[in-house]
Amino acid sequence: MTPAISIEGLIKDFRIPASKARLRAVDNLSLTVERGSIYGLLGPNGSGKSTTIKVVLGLLKASGGTCEVFGKSSEDASARIGVGYLPEAPYFQRFLTGRELLEYFGCLSGLERSGASKRIDQLLEKVGLEDAGDRRVGSYSKGMLQRIGLAQALIADPELLILDEPTAGVDPIGAADIASLIIELKAEGKTILLCSHLLSQVEAICDRVAIMGRGRLLREGTVASLTENAGQDSIRVDGLSTETRNSIESLAKERGARVSTPSRSLEDLFLELARDEGDES
Amino acid sequence: MKAPNDKLRWSLRRVRVIAGNTFREAVRMKLFLAMTILAIGALASSFLFQEFNFGSSELKFIADFGFGGMTVFGSALAIIVTAQLFYGEIEHRTALTLLAKPIYRSEFVLGKFLGAWATVACFLGMMTTCLIFALWWRETSIMVEYPDDFQDGRIVRYGAVIGFSAIQALRIGILCSVVVLFSTYASSSLFAMVMGVLIWIVGQLQHIATEAWIAVDNWLLKGVYALASFALPNFHLFDVGDKLALGENLPGAIYGKLGFYSLLYVSFYLAVASASFNRREL
Repeated sequence: MTPAISIEGLIKDFRIPASKARLRAVDNLSLTVERGSIYGLLGPNGSGKSTTIKVVLGLLKASGGTCEVFGKSSEDASARIGVGYLPEAPYFQRFLTGRELLEYFGCLSGLERSGASKRIDQLLEKVGLEDAGDRRVGSYSKGMLQRIGLAQALIADPELLILDEPTAGVDPIGAADIASLIIELKAEGKTILLCSHLLSQVEAICDRVAIMGRGRLLREGTVASLTENAGQDSIRVDGLSTETRNSIESLAKERGARVSTPSRSLEDLFLELARDEGDES
Repeated sequence: MKAPNDKLRWSLRRVRVIAGNTFREAVRMKLFLAMTILAIGALASSFLFQEFNFGSSELKFIADFGFGGMTVFGSALAIIVTAQLFYGEIEHRTALTLLAKPIYRSEFVLGKFLGAWATVACFLGMMTTCLIFALWWRETSIMVEYPDDFQDGRIVRYGAVIGFSAIQALRIGILCSVVVLFSTYASSSLFAMVMGVLIWIVGQLQHIATEAWIAVDNWLLKGVYALASFALPNFHLFDVGDKLALGENLPGAIYGKLGFYSLLYVSFYLAVASASFNRREL
C-alpha cells in the first residue's frame, strides 16, 4: 500500500534577501509515514520541522529530493485531497464565527453545504466548542483557537492529519483530551503526523518518531527502539518492600549485574541529541 | 467526499466560496460602513448645491460631481480594498490554512479578485443610488422654479447614470486585477497599493504612449511605447462622464467594446497573477 507520506532526500534552501547566500532549512531528509500510524516529528526550534510540513502541504517547493503524499507529488493540489492540517499558530479568519469557519473550510474541501451542518455540530461537540460555535473566532482564547483549528482540520474527514503543535496554549486537561482524540482518530484508521514539544505525550501516543536537528534527520524509529538501551534488560515489579528490593539488588550485584535505571525517556534522548547538535555547531 | 486517489478538478464552486467569504470579510471589516458614509457624504454635499441656485445647469454640476466621486473614490477603494483583502490573507497568514486545503492557487486568485470587485461594485451601486436620488430631487425642485427649461419633461437621463456606473465598474475591475497581480509577489500591502496607484495614474496617461508609438520613428522607442500601450490599460477610454447624463447618448456598442476590453485586461492580469502566485512560497 502506498505510504501516506514518502520523503526521499528532501532539501529545502531559502535565499537570504540582499545576499547570494542560501540557508539550508532541510538537508537530505528521508522518511516514510505509513498509513494508519501516528508519526511524531520532533526537534528543537529551527530544526526544519515546520518547513518539512509546509513542503508536504505544497506551501513550499522542494529545492531537491521528492515528497509524495498518497503517492502524488506534494506540489500537486490533488495530493491535498484527504489531508487535514492544523497550523502551529492558529491563523484563522477572525471575522467568522466558529461555525462559519468550519462551513467555509468544509465547502472548500468539497463538503456540500446541506450536509455540512450536521458534521459541524459533531465536530464542535468533539472539540468541546458546542457553546462557542456562534461566537466570532476573534474572541476565542488560544486554547479555543487550537480546538477550532483541530475541528477545521477534521472537517472533510481526512485520511491524513498533520498536526503542528496541537496542544500549544491548551491547558493540561485540554492537552490530555487532544491526546485521547488523536488515539481515537488512529483507531478510526487515520494517519497522523504530529509535531509537538510535549515529549511525554509523543512518547505515549506515537508509533514512530523522527528527531530532526539543523534540518537533518538525527534519529528515526519506533519509540521503543529509540528509547531502549542496547545490552540491557529490565524487569519491572511493583509492591516490593524495601527489604526485598535490597535483597534482589544485592543478589543481582553478586551475580555481576549493574543495577541502574533501565531505560531513558524520549525526553532524555531528545535533549541529548539536541545538545549534541548544539555542541557540533 | 473525495478519496486521496482522486484527481482534483478546477472548480468554480470553490472560486465562489472564496469570493463570498472575501465579500463577507469586507462587510464585517466595516469597509462597507466607511463606504456608506462616503456615499451619504457625497449625497449630503450635493444638497448644498441648491444654495447656488443656478437652474438646470446645476444638475450638470451635480452629475459631474457624482461621476467624479464615483471614479476617484471607486478607484481609491479598489486599490485599498483589494490589497487589504488579498495581501491581508498572506500578511495574517490565514492563507496558510486555506491553501493547505485541496484548492488551486488560481482559484484563490480569482476568488479574491471577484470578492474585492464585488465589494467595490457595491460601493458604486450605493453611490449611483445616492446620485440618482440627489439628481431626481433637485430636478423636481428646479422644474418648479424654471419650468421653461423643462418643456420637454425631465432632462436628466437616469439610465445613462446607471450606464456610467457600469462603465466605472469595468474600469475598477481592471484596477482590482492589477492590485491582485502586485499583491501576489508583494512583501507588504503598501507596495501593492503604491503600485496600484502608479498603474492608475499611468493608465490615465496611457493614450499618450499610444500616440507616441504611432508617431515616433526610432524603433527602440517605438517598441517601448508599443509594449506600454499593450501591457497597460487605457483608463482614458472609460472617461465618458462628459458625454452622459445631460449630454449626448453613448452608442450601445461602446458598452460591449469596453466590456470586451476590460475582460481582456482582467484575464491577462489574473493569468499573470496566478502564475506569479503559484511560484510564491508561503
